[in-house]
Amino acid sequence: MADQVEIEFKKETISKLLAKSFKDSKTKVSGDAVILMCEILKVFVEEASRRAIKQATAEDSEQVDVEHFEKVLPQLLLDF
Amino acid sequence: MDDTLAQNQRLKAAIHFTTGQICQTIAADCGSEFSRQTIAAIAETTYRQCDIFAKDLESFARHAKRSTINVDDVKLVSRRSTALSTYIQQKSEELASAHQEQKEKRKKSSAKRKHQETEDNED
Repeated sequence: MADQVEIEFKKETISKLLAKSFKDSKTKVSGDAVILMCEILKVFVEEASRRAIKQATAEDSEQVDVEHFEKVLPQLLLDF
Repeated sequence: MDDTLAQNQRLKAAIHFTTGQICQTIAADCGSEFSRQTIAAIAETTYRQCDIFAKDLESFARHAKRSTINVDDVKLVSRRSTALSTYIQQKSEELASAHQEQKEKRKKSSAKRKHQETEDNED
């Protein structure tokens, strides 16, 4: 049985989160733009996870710890 | 301003929850496991990255003399990574074609309804 439940960020959550950072109160986000931002953030988390796992594996660690994530964080931020 | 604080907490919690789900799914796929602090760190980073994205999006829209952020602004935000911008381009095309399909369905059903009404009137 294919367990393909898509894990996604909720549109409402991302919409509110983006709105918090706007400098102008008149700024709004189109529905499609919110959907695409949910995709970008999902890719961000997936990328962060995979790079951290790779780092942990390279250091022969069974568990992914914060140090592993910290090592991949700079390059992750530059790549995005 | 207690309300804002509560809302911030709720947003952070929502981000943390979904981040945890994504991380654990990938970890299971790779036969690995995340410590709770690592998931929290990834969630916090995502939360802060969203703030950077939001400000960029707002600047792009304002540069185009718009007050509503649209798909073009999101495409710009993904420009640093070729793979990411290709992926977002693809997703935006899927959304656009889905809208087009809906439009045509609505046209067809309203045309049908008008036909029905004229038929009923003739009776």
